[in-house]
Amino acid sequence: MSAPAPHHPVCTGDDGALLDVAEAIAADWAALGVHGSFLARNIDTGEQLGFDVDASTPLASVVKVPLALVVLDRVAAGELDPARPVSVDPGTSSVGPTGLAAFRHPATVAVGDLLLLMLSVSDNAAADALLDLVPAADVDARLRAWGCDGIRMRHRMNHLYECAAGAAGNDFSLALELAVRDERTGRHTIETLDPAHANAGSAAALVGLLQRVWCDEIASPPATAELRRLMGLQVFTHRLASELRTDTLRWSGKTGTFLHLRHEIGVVEADSGDRVAMAALTRADRCAGLAADVDLAIGVAGREAFEVLRG
Amino acid sequence: MATADETSFSRAADRLGIAQPLLSRRVKTLEEHFGGPLFDRSRRQITTTELGMLLLPYARDVLDRAQRLRQAARSARRSRVCAVGVPADCAPAALARALRAGTEHGITFGMRELPPLARVSGLADGSLGYALVRAAPEQAAFRVPLGLASAPGADGTGSGARRRTVHLEQLRPRRPRTAGSAAPSPLLLLTEDQVPYFEDRLSRTAARAGLPEARIRPAGPAATALAETLAGRALLLCTEPFARQHGAHWAPLADRALHRGYDVSAAPDRNGAGELPGRLAALLAAAVGAAPARRGGPEPGAGDEDVPARLAARG
Repeated sequence: MSAPAPHHPVCTGDDGALLDVAEAIAADWAALGVHGSFLARNIDTGEQLGFDVDASTPLASVVKVPLALVVLDRVAAGELDPARPVSVDPGTSSVGPTGLAAFRHPATVAVGDLLLLMLSVSDNAAADALLDLVPAADVDARLRAWGCDGIRMRHRMNHLYECAAGAAGNDFSLALELAVRDERTGRHTIETLDPAHANAGSAAALVGLLQRVWCDEIASPPATAELRRLMGLQVFTHRLASELRTDTLRWSGKTGTFLHLRHEIGVVEADSGDRVAMAALTRADRCAGLAADVDLAIGVAGREAFEVLRG
Repeated sequence: MATADETSFSRAADRLGIAQPLLSRRVKTLEEHFGGPLFDRSRRQITTTELGMLLLPYARDVLDRAQRLRQAARSARRSRVCAVGVPADCAPAALARALRAGTEHGITFGMRELPPLARVSGLADGSLGYALVRAAPEQAAFRVPLGLASAPGADGTGSGARRRTVHLEQLRPRRPRTAGSAAPSPLLLLTEDQVPYFEDRLSRTAARAGLPEARIRPAGPAATALAETLAGRALLLCTEPFARQHGAHWAPLADRALHRGYDVSAAPDRNGAGELPGRLAALLAAAVGAAPARRGGPEPGAGDEDVPARLAARG
């Protein structure tokens, strides 16, 4: 296959040691054919390292974090009852492999538990059920009002599936090939992979959001506390969490996976008190549904960043 | 002569496949040439005249000689060397068997080692009479198992030495990655395997097996690639005879769709040549280590999983 135009990531780091780690991570990813951006920031000291931190990337399921924050803000403001039952019918609900999206029979779930399903198992049907209550345009406006300029909420989760199936006719391999090819040509056949039309965000904007959530500097404390609790319940541990799994560390994160996109954002908190927020947004040049080495490389990046940024 | 044998102009014309008036005109020309009638046409059945009877043995002799001249020309034409495009590194003994068998069939083969795409273009431009052409193994007449050569002793596939086949998934680096451990060995492709359909298929399969695209590289000169392989720094995709001949350890790829497939193809519009007799084709294929393909059932493919769910955003 033709070699993609070489892209040299622009590394940022607050001192030489941090810059070295950023460059090592970028080289490690490049060796696996992974492009993307990475940012890790010590929430308390503000020290950070990363590369291409302002590149806007389609967020896939990572967008469920800002969505959850806006819904939780409505709940905290008393505008939405967390106990309000919502019926989800498999005949009309969104497509997905987990949670209500995988249900075969109608179910009724409370708003608070839709949030749990959306963040713990990345339930697309739960996310779209919440977007029925708080439309995407309202979420986007709320993010603007909060000054989260690098994050855009433009469409429902099922739109990802609809665009991929529209372009590739339910053929996963073909959709994956289109995605990888389009990454090389820069022309997007699948609209939801175009940062200009997708739910998109940059590593810098996402780490900024996490930092404000962990410092109670956005929405309201009950909302941010619940978001932190729910992100701590995520079941997927194959990415940023993979190298941060000890009883002395706590990981709260949200992954995002769509075709060649493999993302995760989250915060690692140590018993020692160190807190590091990070965002890894990647695009692979490989036509593989599963790429454990890419997930592991993201995990290694998270660990190295945490170890060099903690006190 | 035919007229004398058949005692009839019309029957003779039939036998020669020409029109009777043409035959009559030719006989007339001969009679003018020799200065007398060769046939007596006065009766219902024509008879040969005395002059005709006298000339008949000489005419027979002339015709025989002309016939032999034609045959000599035909066999000279056939014994021209017929170029056959074969892959590099064929087994010489097997090629020799094909050469001998060709001679028995009155065809003199000239073996030419060429890269796969040059063999196809050679057929098209007429510089090759026949060629072993790469084809997808499941459709090809002949199949050559491909496997991974590695340094003897050190099993580069990372599996037990008793394992009979190699699965690409095995080539993924193992966790935990020990500090300072060398980068995983690249998988080298010989010129013979640098065929678009094959490279495409291998890169897809490798991606699905969790290998980055950069693990697969063109081998460059075979000798260098072998040296890297024997030094334990690379895995070479090759056939078993090739690996054994150079003292490398070899294990076949479990995925038969990644094996080599060959068809013996003839150049188009090669007047008179056409398909090579089956036995010769089999001998040629044996020179690349091929066995006749078993045409089996459908290849095991991806199961019927939930396609829509795979296309949706996940985790």
